[in-house]
Amino acid sequence: MTDIDFYKRLPRVLPGLALIVLTMVVIRNWIEPWMTDAVVFGQKGWLIKVTHLNYILLGIIAGLLYRNLLFRGRIPALFEDGFKLSRLLIKTGIILLGSLYTVQAIVQLGAMAVLLIGGFVILSLVLVLWLGRVFGLERSMTAVLANALSICGVSAAVATAPAVEAKASHVAYAIATILGFGILTMFISPFIGHALGLTDLQYGAWVGTGILNSGQVLAAALAFNPQVTPGSAVSVAEIWNIMRVISIPFAVFAVTLWYWSGKTGETGERKGLGTLLVEKFPVFVIGFLVMVLLTSLGAFGDVGLKGGPAASDTIKMLRLWMTWIFGFGLVGLGAYIDFKELAQAGGAPLKVGLLVGVTKYVLALAVVLLIRDYLVAI
Amino acid sequence: MCFGHILVAVDGSQACAAALGHARWLARQGDSTLTGIFVIDTGWADFIGNDWQSSSNARQGFLDHIGREQDAQAQAARGQFTAAAAGLGDARFELAVGDPVRVLLARLNDPQTDLFIFGRRTFQVSGRPSLKSAARTLARHATRPLLLLP
Repeated sequence: MTDIDFYKRLPRVLPGLALIVLTMVVIRNWIEPWMTDAVVFGQKGWLIKVTHLNYILLGIIAGLLYRNLLFRGRIPALFEDGFKLSRLLIKTGIILLGSLYTVQAIVQLGAMAVLLIGGFVILSLVLVLWLGRVFGLERSMTAVLANALSICGVSAAVATAPAVEAKASHVAYAIATILGFGILTMFISPFIGHALGLTDLQYGAWVGTGILNSGQVLAAALAFNPQVTPGSAVSVAEIWNIMRVISIPFAVFAVTLWYWSGKTGETGERKGLGTLLVEKFPVFVIGFLVMVLLTSLGAFGDVGLKGGPAASDTIKMLRLWMTWIFGFGLVGLGAYIDFKELAQAGGAPLKVGLLVGVTKYVLALAVVLLIRDYLVAI
Repeated sequence: MCFGHILVAVDGSQACAAALGHARWLARQGDSTLTGIFVIDTGWADFIGNDWQSSSNARQGFLDHIGREQDAQAQAARGQFTAAAAGLGDARFELAVGDPVRVLLARLNDPQTDLFIFGRRTFQVSGRPSLKSAARTLARHATRPLLLLP
């Protein structure tokens, strides 16, 4: 089972990539403008104002339809490598997103993010470990759910499973639960955010803390406000997300310690924090930080922070690219959501997932509203 | 009723014990060829496809972890079938690779298969939630004789 060498098979990515690009071009040039101009119930733009559908959510819906209707549950071999490229596209987008921040802004936002994320990670971990005992889950399943529900969903489940010897079925049900909840929150969060009149900062902090899976954090932020500028929802939510991603190796280490502490007399492969950092640390975060550094050093000209000089042409061009790159990436990501898999999720993992997911989602909103005067915009 | 070739899905767990027992009984009665099949599920990379931020190492480490578990299940399935088929004249174990439901459906509808026996919960031990509906999918698309057992 290998998944690494597809990057070497560049020509094979072209059909899938072409379909993704074509989809986004059609959405941005024809479907979204049509929805903006269409008169429904006597009101121009009703479709956009009421449904809050923009090119990001439309792209995800297109991906979902491709997989679940057109492709009947499986991406055809012809398009497979192209759709796999969506992960690389999103990582590239996040690296470019580094051009929205200066080091000072990262320190300001990051300090808030560390406090909120840290608090919620610890709270969720404790809650899942307790619920795991209440529902009588196996330790390995509790461990996978603990990290997946506390940090960043599927990525955390993928990182944790081998370290705690999780069974395939345990991981599968954890992933299906997280994805199902993530998709639900991705579609309802923009409605709630607009209904409550949240600012981009409040909304970004909320979804960055409360939504379980990283893909859906990105999508929900761009669905609320598709602009990719300093202070926009995505610029806040992704700082929160990066804090979560960075914590993966540490959380895997902590949960592994908990797992093995209850397995007296059994032997297994236990890895140290150093090894986990090398194995689990997402390299794109380094790319993002390098981009922040270059931006702070003025490599791309003025960033266009509030009250400062306007953004340079290079920065504007980078932001335009990002909107397209995220759009392409999220069409592909939508095609990896299989309703057949989500519909079959159930049992104790679903109950624990829903309890923790809803608690986190609601509590994060309450906390963001409570501390809104202390949130610092960049 | 006699069947020339009986195919039974085995996964090394109790979920297929009744199906395997019945398949052995039918094969013995009709002097049939009995094949036990286990499918190594290749759908995992696709299943975690929504995860865009894992490092290559983390992703591959996870797929290797799942692969090891599936290899162990394949060995268990082989052992289970070999023990059950002891004493039968013509019995063989087959290890297939692919999406379990698609592979089983193809084998079920193969003209070489005279009867396919499937325990409803077989392969659920291997993981992906969609395998819970494997029996229903097989029943819906079967064009050859299929015997579903609890």
